[in-house]
Amino acid sequence: MNQASLSSIFLDSLLINNFVLSVFLGICPFIGVSGKFATAWRMGVSVIFVITVSSVLAYASNLLLVFLHAEYLRIIMFIVIIASTVQLLEMFIKKTSPVLFRALGIYLPLITTNCAVLGVALFQTAREYSFAQSVVFAVGASAGFALALVIMSVIRERLELSDVPGVARGTALVLMLAGILSMAFMGFAGMGGGA
Amino acid sequence: MSATTQSPKSPARKPPATETASSVKMIRLMGSVSLICGLLIVTTYRGTLAPIQRNQEIIMKETVAELLPGVERQVVYGVQPAGGITVLKNLDYAGPRLFAGYDASGALLGVVLEASDRGYADVIRTMYAYSPSKQAITGFKVVELKETPGLGDKITSDPAFLANFRHLDVRLNADGTSTAHPVTTVKQGTKKNPWEVDAISGATISSRAVGRALDKSTRDLLPIVNRHLGRIEKGE
Amino acid sequence: MAHVHGQELPASTAENMEAFFNGLWNQNPVFVQVLGMCPTLAVTNSVRNALAMGLATTFVLVCSNTLISMVRKLVPKQVRIATYILIIATFVTIVDYLIKAISIPVYKALGAFIALIVVNCIILGRAEAYASKNPVGKSMLDGLGMGLGFAFALTCLGGVREILGAGSFLGIHLFGANFQPWVLFLLPPGGFLTLAAWLLIFSSWKARPRKKAEALEEIAA
Repeated sequence: MNQASLSSIFLDSLLINNFVLSVFLGICPFIGVSGKFATAWRMGVSVIFVITVSSVLAYASNLLLVFLHAEYLRIIMFIVIIASTVQLLEMFIKKTSPVLFRALGIYLPLITTNCAVLGVALFQTAREYSFAQSVVFAVGASAGFALALVIMSVIRERLELSDVPGVARGTALVLMLAGILSMAFMGFAGMGGGA
Repeated sequence: MSATTQSPKSPARKPPATETASSVKMIRLMGSVSLICGLLIVTTYRGTLAPIQRNQEIIMKETVAELLPGVERQVVYGVQPAGGITVLKNLDYAGPRLFAGYDASGALLGVVLEASDRGYADVIRTMYAYSPSKQAITGFKVVELKETPGLGDKITSDPAFLANFRHLDVRLNADGTSTAHPVTTVKQGTKKNPWEVDAISGATISSRAVGRALDKSTRDLLPIVNRHLGRIEKGE
Repeated sequence: MAHVHGQELPASTAENMEAFFNGLWNQNPVFVQVLGMCPTLAVTNSVRNALAMGLATTFVLVCSNTLISMVRKLVPKQVRIATYILIIATFVTIVDYLIKAISIPVYKALGAFIALIVVNCIILGRAEAYASKNPVGKSMLDGLGMGLGFAFALTCLGGVREILGAGSFLGIHLFGANFQPWVLFLLPPGGFLTLAAWLLIFSSWKARPRKKAEALEEIAA
């Protein structure tokens, strides 16, 4: 059992060990959909949604695997859970809220290959988080992903107007910006262990 | 235990069944692929079980040998939730573990224990040697850390900092329920008492984490070590 | 891609070589396709970790490409991706245990990123784009080429980061005791900046011949 308090887990996953800028999870969607603010925040919300739900399911299924002494099936189990969660959520949202579906619909399938989702499931298991800790961790980590995504999209919208050399456009530019953002986020690191 | 019972359901929904033959074929295929995958995984799992355990044991043994120079024989105890101890056959144990080390003549050299706490970036895991006769910590090693290179990771190498643990007073209080003085980390150069840890300037947070980890671990585990000292000395 | 059955078996050496070198250089997964960014950034703070990750990914790629190519004609379209993911996850689990059995320090250094090979888009990408359409031998070589290309890219990153950030290569110290390491390169920002630098080098190198051709065209016109 992990002793960390809920608030420290939240702060840690949101800022100190930000999934994108410090742990390097979910870089592909971070580079891919951070071009526009409007798409970035929608993607962020979808990811928070999917990660939280799949974290709960991963917690439950891990209990089952431990009970069956079949821990070696963990990776397969988690990836199947994530793929099905994404599909189920897609159907669920389509049925219940067509408005939300129109806003988030196209982002949902993309999330299956977002390694942050599997990352949350794996980390919460490796750190032996309790149920409450897992949920807080999932919300914090996914909110951290959304935060990084939104910050980057705002910067990139600004940069559209500036004169960037041809070779540096695209991925290289995003990576440079991410490097600077990551440096800024390093400033949060002391917050966790200050006591 | 069969791996194939866990075979995942295909996320792809089949189109309105045109012919049952194709879905039977599909299920048969998924079944056999799952079977092959299950077999492969179970074989690997079984095959690597022994080497993995051996690797873990070697690493632990080496660490214990480093912390207790001259050790010839080691016995690992697991601390039960109620405070009792049992000899462990393998290292896979959920609770705290005690690594007792004996010299060639069979006399107890010391007990190695684990301590961890949150540092600057992530949890710092350490191991330390406790000598029941000296009532002191006599050795210390960081086994896992992700602290800032060049700053926090000095706790693994700074000679002045490591000198703290050549003899750190952790004697128990009168009724043996906890340590007499908590292990405390103090600012560099202000160490006055033998139970204080002199921090590294520039790595204060990491140094404090080490102090907190040791304090927590010594408070919880040393009373148990001392209560069962007779058994541990005999190695049973 | 409709391969006639008879055509598949005697793949020429040239074709095989092409399948192999395609991944290693022309279609390098990191520098050219910009795929698999997460492990590329996360585990390249030392050459040893980068190599271990590269080889682990190569193992998974070769095995999954081979097996997927073997079953490619049996798998119905609807359950294609599910089957691929199942196969990939199997080999990832295997490599996870193998690394643990070979070296626990390496296993600890790579951490969850071994399990995360499963969502590395390079692997599913090669399964879908290559192994599902090509014979076993070529798929295996394609996996090997892509995997080694990935390992090569990771080592390039790990090399720069380790030399600048720790003053060593594969743990061997290169400079004297007075060397002040540029620690930032071992930290997360260093990962982003190093990869950005490599991408800049690659894209400007690729842009050069095109400029020349454009200039020639202009002269001709």
